[in-house]
Parts: sequence; C-alpha cells; structure tokens
Amino acid sequence: MTTSAATAPRTAAALDPRRAGLGRTFAAAIVTLVMLGPILAVFWLALRPRLYTDITGPTLETFGYIFANTDILLWLKNSAMVSILATIVSVMVAAPAGYVLSRGRGGAVSAYSLFIFVVQSFPVVVFVIPLFIMFASVGLVDSLGGVAIIYVASSIAVACWMMSAYFDTIPVTLEEAAWIDGCSVFGGFVRIVLRNSLPGVLSTAIYSFLLAWNDYLVALVFLRSDDRFTLPIGLQTFFQQNQTDWGPVMACAVVMLAPPVVIFALLNRFFSIGGIGGSLAGR
Amino acid sequence: MTLAGLALPAVVLMAVVNAYPVVYAGIQALHDGDLLNLGNFVGLANFRDALTDPLFWRSARFTVVFSLCGVFGSWLLGFALALMLKPNFPGKSVFKILLLLPWIVPIVVSSMSWNWLTATPDSLLPVLARDFGFGRVMFLADPTMAMITVCLFKIWISYPFMMMMMSGALEGIEPNLYEAARVDGANSRQQLRYIVLPMTARSTYIAWILMAMFSVNDFATIYLLTGGGPVDSTTSLIVLAYRSVFQDFRPGYGVAISFLMTGALVTLSIILFRQIRKANIA
Amino acid sequence: MNEFNASRSSMTRRAFLGTTAAAAAAMTVGQKAAFGAEEIKFWDMVWGTGASYTAAAKELVGSYQPSGDNLGVRYQSIPWANWYQTFTSAAASRTTPAVSSGAAFLPFYFIEQGVIAPADDVVAGFDKSGTNDFLPGVLDAMKTDKGYAAMPWSMDLRVIWVRKSLLEKAGVEAPTDWQSFIKVGEALKKIDVVGLGLAGGSTTTDGQHTVSALMINNGGGLFATDGTLDCVTDRNIETLDFLNELVRKGIIDPYAASYTSDNVTRDWLSGRVGMGFGQTGLDKNFPTDQQSDLTVISPIKSTRGDMGTVYYINPLMMFKTTASQPSSEAFLTWYLDNMKVFWEKGVAIDVPVRKSIADLPNLKQNANLQKSIAEWQPVGKTIGAQAPRPFGALNAVDGGGAGAAFIQQIIEGKTASKQILETLQAALEKVVK
Repeated sequence: MTTSAATAPRTAAALDPRRAGLGRTFAAAIVTLVMLGPILAVFWLALRPRLYTDITGPTLETFGYIFANTDILLWLKNSAMVSILATIVSVMVAAPAGYVLSRGRGGAVSAYSLFIFVVQSFPVVVFVIPLFIMFASVGLVDSLGGVAIIYVASSIAVACWMMSAYFDTIPVTLEEAAWIDGCSVFGGFVRIVLRNSLPGVLSTAIYSFLLAWNDYLVALVFLRSDDRFTLPIGLQTFFQQNQTDWGPVMACAVVMLAPPVVIFALLNRFFSIGGIGGSLAGR
Repeated sequence: MTLAGLALPAVVLMAVVNAYPVVYAGIQALHDGDLLNLGNFVGLANFRDALTDPLFWRSARFTVVFSLCGVFGSWLLGFALALMLKPNFPGKSVFKILLLLPWIVPIVVSSMSWNWLTATPDSLLPVLARDFGFGRVMFLADPTMAMITVCLFKIWISYPFMMMMMSGALEGIEPNLYEAARVDGANSRQQLRYIVLPMTARSTYIAWILMAMFSVNDFATIYLLTGGGPVDSTTSLIVLAYRSVFQDFRPGYGVAISFLMTGALVTLSIILFRQIRKANIA
Repeated sequence: MNEFNASRSSMTRRAFLGTTAAAAAAMTVGQKAAFGAEEIKFWDMVWGTGASYTAAAKELVGSYQPSGDNLGVRYQSIPWANWYQTFTSAAASRTTPAVSSGAAFLPFYFIEQGVIAPADDVVAGFDKSGTNDFLPGVLDAMKTDKGYAAMPWSMDLRVIWVRKSLLEKAGVEAPTDWQSFIKVGEALKKIDVVGLGLAGGSTTTDGQHTVSALMINNGGGLFATDGTLDCVTDRNIETLDFLNELVRKGIIDPYAASYTSDNVTRDWLSGRVGMGFGQTGLDKNFPTDQQSDLTVISPIKSTRGDMGTVYYINPLMMFKTTASQPSSEAFLTWYLDNMKVFWEKGVAIDVPVRKSIADLPNLKQNANLQKSIAEWQPVGKTIGAQAPRPFGALNAVDGGGAGAAFIQQIIEGKTASKQILETLQAALEKVVK
C-alpha cells in the first residue's frame, strides 16, 4: 500500500487533482488504519483497569482516576506554558536569523550556517551534566523557564532553516521596492517578509511546539518538583521499578494527544500540511 | 550590519547554551575520571580506546543502517502518503491530521505501545505471524529482527515529518506543468520521473539532511524500545555514548564517542550540502 | 513609522527574554523561600506499588513534626527512569537533597566520592535507645571504610515463586534442587508454561537478578573473596551450564531476551509463567482472589549442594548538601521508626529490615513473606558476592550494558558458558577499576 506511488494507475490519480473521489477516501482510510495501529493500541490500553484493583475488562475508570487523583491538569498547564514559551521564543529568534541565512551572501553567512549546523549535531543527551551544572549555577534548575531555554536551543537550528527556506520563496524585489521607499532593512524584513510568511511561521512553530511538548529526557533531569512536572514526567509516576501501570499512562497519553491535534485541526485552514516543504521547495 | 544584528539573538543563544557544555565535555574526553571527578589527563586515549573497540564499530554500523532506514524509509513512506493526499477527496483533511499522529504521540507512550504489540508470544504481531505461517517470529528478542523492528519503529515515527515536507513540495509545483506534460503525451510514471522528482529535489535533499541529523542523534527511539539489545545488536553510537556516561560511569569515553559521531555527521552533511547547491544550479 | 515597527518588534523580543529571566528569578526566589521556611528536602523513589506508595509516603512525611531546632521536611518523588542522571547531575552541581532513598549501590559510590555523610550517628542512636532491631547482617552490609554508607529501610530479596495450580496441572511437586528444577520445568513445558520466567531486556535488571541468584546459589559470584573481579570460575561455569540446559529444554523462554520487567509480570498474570525468581511482593500484582495461587518455595540446592540467592538492600542516605546535618539525622531516625505504615497499608512489596515491622500482625499472617525472611534472607548475598562488602563500582555492574548483553547471550544459548563469562569479565574490567 505504501508503495502505491510506484504503480501507474494510482500515480495517475495521485497527480491528477480531478480524478480522485470516494475510492481514494476508502484507500486512504485503509492506509491510515494500518499506520495508526499502534495508536489504536494506546486507546485500547487506556481502557485497561489500574493495577491493584480487582476490576477486569475494559473500563473508563482510569480516566476518572487520573483526573481525580493526579495533578494531570497542572502537568497539562506546565507543559502548555513551557511549550508555548519555547515556541514563541524559538520563532522570534529563528525568524530574523533565518532571514539572514536566506538573504545574506558571503563567507560570514556560510560560517554562520555551518555554526548552526554543528550546534544542531551535538547530542544533548550526552552533554546533559555540564548543561545541568551550568544551569544550576544560575538558578535555572527545576524551573520551567530553564527547560524552555533548552528547548529553544534544541529547536533553533532547524527553526532557522525552516524560516530561511520559506523566506527564499518571497521575491527579494518586494523588499527592494520597500527600501527604495525609505524602509530600513529591518523594517523591510518585518513589514514585507514576515507579514507574508504566515505558513512558514506556523510550520516552524509547530515543529518547535512538538519538540517541547513531547520531550522527556531534558525535563526528567531538569525538573525536580511535583508542581513543575510536565506531562511526560507526570507519566513517569506510573512507572514502578518492576511494573508499569498501563491504564493511567495510556489515559494520560490520550489526554496529552488532544491539544496538538486541536491545534493541527484549527490551523489546517491556514496552511497546507506541508507549509515547510512548500517553502523549502521554492526557487 | 543590520543583518548581523538580526542574526545575533540566535548566535548568542546557541553559543551561551552550548559553549560551556561542549568545552566541559571536551575536557572530560581527555580525562579518565567519573561523573564527579575529572580524573587524570590521558590525552587521546579515550578516542583510541573507542576506535579500537569492536563494540564501537558494531554500533557505528548499526547507526548507519538505522539512519539510512530512518532517512530513506520514512522519505519513501512520507512521499507516498503525500502523493496519496495530494488530490481533493472526501475526508482529506481528516486523514492529513490522523496520519500526523505518530509524530504527536509522545515517544515514551508509542514505544510502550510497540512493545505491547510485539514483545511477548501472546502479543498481536507474533500471533498474526504465527497464524500466517511465519512460525515463531521474535520481533524484539532476536538480534536481527530487533534491528528490523527498531528501524520500522523509526520509520513509523518519522514519516509524518517527511509527509509534511513532501506535501508542501508537491504543492509548490505549478498545476499547468502536469497539463503541459499530458498534452505532450507523458504518462503518470513519466510525470513522476520528469516533473515531480526534479521539482521536489531541493526539499528532498533538505529533508534527507535533517532526518539524517535527527536519526544519528536519536537516542529515545532506540533506547525506549530495546535499550540497545539484545546482545548489543541495536546499540547505536548515541546509545553507546549514553551508556558509557551514565551506566558505566565513564564520561570521558562516552563523550569521546559522541565527538567522533558529531565529527562524522558534520563532515557527511557538508558533502550533502554541496549536493544541494548542485541541485540548485541544475 | 519604520522606526516604530522596528522598536516594537525588538521590544517584544526583549519582553520575551525578560519573561524567561523572570521565570528564572521566580525559581531562585522559590528556592530561597524554601530555605526561609526552614525545610530540608527528602527525595524518594517510586517504590512498592507505585502511585499508592508515593501517596502514602507523602502523607507520612507530611505528618513529620520536627522537635527542637530541627528543620521540617519536604517530600519529593523521583521517577526511576534515568535515575542515575538525576542523582549524578544533582551531585555534580551540589543540588542534592538532604536525605534520599535510591538504588542499592548508589550510597557506596557517593560515600567514596565524599558526597554523602556516614550514618554512624543514626546507628548509634538506635543502639542507645535500644531500638536496634535490624535483621541480622543488614546493617553490616552498609559498612564501608568511611562508616555506614546509608541506613537500610527494606530489602529487595529474590525468592523462587511457583503457581500452585500450574504445578498441579503439570502433575509435579515444587523443586528442591537443580535436578528437580529441570524435571519440573520439563513438565511445565509440556503444558506450554515457562519454567523460569525472567526479563532479559536491556532496560531492566530483572534477568541479572535471576542469574546472580543462581550463581550465588552455587556458591559463586562475580567477585573473589578479596574483592577482585572473578567471573570465570568453575562454579559460575556450572551455573551457566545449568542455565544453558534450561534454555535448550525450552524451560527459559527465548522471548525473554527482550522482556521488560513489565512483560514478565504480565506473563505471570496470564499464567504463561509458572515458576521463577521474583520479589517477595510478587503476589501483590495479582487480583486478590488469585494471590493464594502463588507460593514461595524453600531455597533449592545446587548440584554442589549449596543454597543462596541475591538481595538488594534499599538504602536511605544523607547528603552533605543538607542545611543541617542534625535535622537530616533526626528525620531519618523518625522515618525509620514510622515507615511501618507502608507494610500496614500494603504499599511496600519488599522485605522489611526491622524485626518490629516483620512482626506486624498482617505480615505474620503472610506465609510467603515469613518463609522468605526465615529461609531465603539468611542465604542471600549482594551482587558483590563473594567480595566481603559492597563498593561503589557495583553501580556500573548493576544495570550496565555489560550485564544486559551477558543475560541475553545466556538466553540465546548459542555461546559456550566459559566464553560468555570471559566476555563479561572483559567488559566489567573496563568499569570496575
């Protein structure tokens, strides 16, 4: 099914916008069902009874339990705060940097681009101890702000790239016209380029958001107090030394899926799924 | 000057967050201490030990296999799905969102779900394999199968990103190009070959590089599903580095591995970058 | 107009950087406030039954009323995932709490590094008040050259469990030695039941516990009596040959090579596993009406006639980062005197290490637990066996990559016992200096 592109009749339909109908809906439904098997498993497992209860068979009790007995709403709030903060900062820093990558020429820009690249290549997971020592010395440990900074740093390189690629699709003549009208470089960037880059900004934002929303490796080390836990760390409270309480974990996971899905559904109108790709495809 | 100003916040942020850890790690790499003490200066001994350790090379080999699967497997799947979603059809936007779910589910959760589907003989996939006459398939317990399963898991997690990239690229193609090709008598396969692939080449290269970077540095996908086993068959360099630092308490050795890995990654990517430029000129 | 736009934008950016800084500042203030309120921190792992254990522990610590000048205590639960990162990063940055529970060998590493304070005064306090009722050998197991590395609070003792109904179905009696173990395993195999359930995956140490238990069972271990690494011994080779026979006869499940501890627990629950090593609270995983199907059997004799098993003593350690060492000691003593609620409420699944707790009425009725304490605990040793006492490097032995590959090679059953042990010896030599 996944290689449908290689078969001629399907490809014809794939490339021709006019020739697809309910048949395609059916095919897409089957493909989606297969791809989402493991996710359906998550929903199924969320109906499992908790450990150390005598309930058997599927139950919705876990959902009641996690809302009544855990801080899931607090975790949700913390996750949302960190992810939104990281996303906003990431876009605000990446947009101008990406503009430089897109418009700048010469050795300095190449060096800059290489620098971003090398930075992105360092594995955070190995450097977490020196990072922790550094953050501890300025009091940024066990702080949602500190974690957000790390998320921004982890997503910035790719974010720069995404923004840069989108800016590539905006003709430089537009800014040049603005400059002639007396607009500064910065003004041109903000008023001409950024204003026309909503899809690029949204794609970058979604990338940054998901990176922050799903992280557990950084949060696990940097967040130490119950009241600052994010959702992926909250999940860990159901992992005992020798067993995992699947029902609540999966119920939390279902809750955790909701915000990004809603965001995607809402933003779907404003940008085609591949906003990034479209931008990168330009030229 | 203004351009420099615009680039500054990102540079400062990256430098501030990365400088100290990288320098600190660099110093660790030259010493034989543990996590709390620097230990003795040993020069390049950690690098030499890494390069002469058979496990390092096995891990390097798996890293390459894993990354190639991650890059090309998820690209093929993502591209195919992007092609599927290109025309308008009823329910299209719902499928678009649903197919992104593997990216949205936290990996802690999806790894559990994959474990549940594959780990025990009573799990769904081994049961299906038995019913379809494949006999006893140990998706995670057999070293070779574990490698395949981890790679499939990686492809599954990564295809939505590729699908996003490639659908956007497809949207960037002028519809009248297809029209013109049809007039010239090109069939679908030829359209794919001569219009779609060349027009999406730049996106494809960028997607490959990004995914290569994500794959080489991907710790969670492997660690959460197999922990690098059985018998180290799914140990990649990043897993080996992590284990050396945090489980064997040999940070110098682990950091040396990660430096070697980063070096190789950067070199490889620069070569790929050159390819992009060429693709641009073409 | 241009200027306006530009400055607005940069203002916004500054505002956001400001937000971050403010969050940082808030955090710092929060810390100060904690000190201002005169509290010390207690970190506790997610032990026992998980969420319900944590709730009970939180409640217990919340009820602590410090006496005199001593500081109050704040409870913080710590997830098991990547715990070594949590502890080592805290130690490296001096942000450790005052008191903490943790993995069995962490205190030995930390006391060698001078990160924690010895617990000698706490031990002396128990002696003085005449309440030193720790089970034999348990306190001694905490002794190092620098004093007691930590206080023991419970013991993860590995005992052999069987499911009575499955043994009956297979028509066999519980094994008493290695030979009969194989007989029973073969009988179970005939009814598609696993005779030695274990989790050999790379993210768990369960399989290592089982193999260590059997090595100690045969009078072996990873270390010589002088404390040096000594994996390739006749006794260990015999143990691996025994395991290899179990593998060849299908008594050990090949799927176990990737099992998480959760997977094996599920197999116990589903009746796929009929026999194997487990914690003394294994039965707690079962619905109440099935718990009586599980029985702890007496220790089995190896071919040489030895008996033994492995245990891990769960420690409570005192970090030097405390705001007040007397407060740490006062709290630790109080905690050890009041932790019996964990067993009263049934949220602890390990063996209590104090006689006063082991004698609680509900534990007295627990035949499996009493048998474990009476018969298994005395023949138990740590994975440091046969070394005279535990040491810091055991951290890297317990749960390192070498151990996981070792277990998986055994389950694979393709490599000669001696060669497997030589591989292990070579790998461990790199981490045990």
